[in-house]
Amino acid sequence: MATKREPERFTISIGPQHPALKEPGSFQFTVDGEIVTKAYVRLGYAHRGIEKAAEQRNWIQDLYLLERVCGICSHIHATAYCLAVEQLAHVEAPARAQAIRVLVAELERIHSHFLWIGVSAHEAGFETLFMYSWRDRETVMDLLEGLTGNRVNYSANILGGVKCDINNEQTTAILDGISFLEERARHYFDVLTNDAMFLQRTRGIATMSRTQAEVMGAIGPTARASNVARDVRVESPYAAYKQYPVKMALDTRGDLEARFVVRVNELFESFRIIREILATLPETELAARFPRRVPAGEVVMRVEAPRGELYYFIKSNGSDKPERLKVRTPTICNMTSVIKLAVGHQLADVPMILAGIDPCFSCNDRTVQLKDAGNQASTMLMWEELRLHGIQYYQGLNK
Amino acid sequence: MNSEEILTLASGIVQSWDWATEISRPNPKQLDVKVNVLQELVPIVVGLRVKRLGYLSAIVCLDGGPETNDMEVLYHFCPGDAIIALRVHVPRDGGTLPSLCEVVPGAEVFERELREMFGIEITGLHTPDRLYLPDDWPAGVYPMRKDFDPKMLSPRP
Repeated sequence: MATKREPERFTISIGPQHPALKEPGSFQFTVDGEIVTKAYVRLGYAHRGIEKAAEQRNWIQDLYLLERVCGICSHIHATAYCLAVEQLAHVEAPARAQAIRVLVAELERIHSHFLWIGVSAHEAGFETLFMYSWRDRETVMDLLEGLTGNRVNYSANILGGVKCDINNEQTTAILDGISFLEERARHYFDVLTNDAMFLQRTRGIATMSRTQAEVMGAIGPTARASNVARDVRVESPYAAYKQYPVKMALDTRGDLEARFVVRVNELFESFRIIREILATLPETELAARFPRRVPAGEVVMRVEAPRGELYYFIKSNGSDKPERLKVRTPTICNMTSVIKLAVGHQLADVPMILAGIDPCFSCNDRTVQLKDAGNQASTMLMWEELRLHGIQYYQGLNK
Repeated sequence: MNSEEILTLASGIVQSWDWATEISRPNPKQLDVKVNVLQELVPIVVGLRVKRLGYLSAIVCLDGGPETNDMEVLYHFCPGDAIIALRVHVPRDGGTLPSLCEVVPGAEVFERELREMFGIEITGLHTPDRLYLPDDWPAGVYPMRKDFDPKMLSPRP
């Protein structure tokens, strides 16, 4: 009589120096052959205690601290914080300042999405696309530098308004820059939806139904690719989004390809908004006077970061420092979906599934340890090798 | 639905049965619900979910400090333009909350955070392990509490 043999299971740990940029996380995937059967996440390797630090600094110092929560979407953090504190202090930033906030936010979204196209292309082994999209991203980085003086932490916001104005030369430069980027985005759209090799890595992979996305609390482009109409810019317009309404990019398919389509469509929407803002920029002051102390109260501020809803909660006790400040970044919400979606997929697809939510990526060294339960032998795979394994796996299917 | 309709619907839900809730409207887009009996928290969230108002943005804990022995936990549900804030009070020593992860899977990360940063015990968590703090962090030291002092951490060997 044959004895039933327990299937051999390996636990592969990825990280802590792992793909999620801002939060290098440790992932553990239990695999049965090539199929992931269980996934587990552990975060906090980049936990800097910013919420605690914010309680010990005054309102102005916090602006600079919070802009450094994330290196890619730094402007949106500062915007969320400024809008929240302005609401507490009953100060409203002038119209021109609000428009410039939106302008910089949209430029930042373009920069973030181009970066993401490159990163995902790299994970799929499409190095040419990676190189081109990052080359093009330099255009928008230069525009941001020309506008604010910085490439990363733009520091465009101050409490009560913005610091930087836009002159005619800058307007021309931005218009020229986005014309070039729009043409490139069209080309990428064509590549991402027609390239047979690339589609093999994206079409029908990590499909998330609308119900799943809602239950797991997915947000941002990840949710919109599953036809969940959730975009703070549309639902609850902040800053100047009331004057410059956004058309939400949605897709019904819910797979990785849909996430590409949604993000590229968002790029086109960003180009349109930027042109509209530059054509109708209101002529007002750049900033309103802001008090040193902020009245006691609580405020919830939600804004749309490139990766999804960014949430700020601030409680003031009437002093020059916040009593409590809570930041919830989009990646943490979408992480639940990665954990659930990875189950049932090929190990080779894991890098793409992770890249699909656009986690914040910090490219340190990454290790994969393949443990063999039977003979205790273990092989170490660097992230690079896992990536190559993914590429070779799919090339093998082609033959 | 606009925010007014959402908040009317939500006030209906949180005031149904004999639930001991108190509601207030701090601003036109926000509904504050004080949940006085802990056992009612999960049923209320189920009610919100059934009506598709159950998008949980975050869970925030406010520590009242060592002199009050009180912590307030805020559950912020943000459907559409509206904000529904469920407010629960728990004692600082030995406070316990029921987990929402059966109803809202995304709540788990916030609950694990409450557990390690504020020391609130959560019953019914699927994975009660640490999420953010390092493995060698001393037990019983909660860094987000008001009375936390880095001196509480023993010097590294």
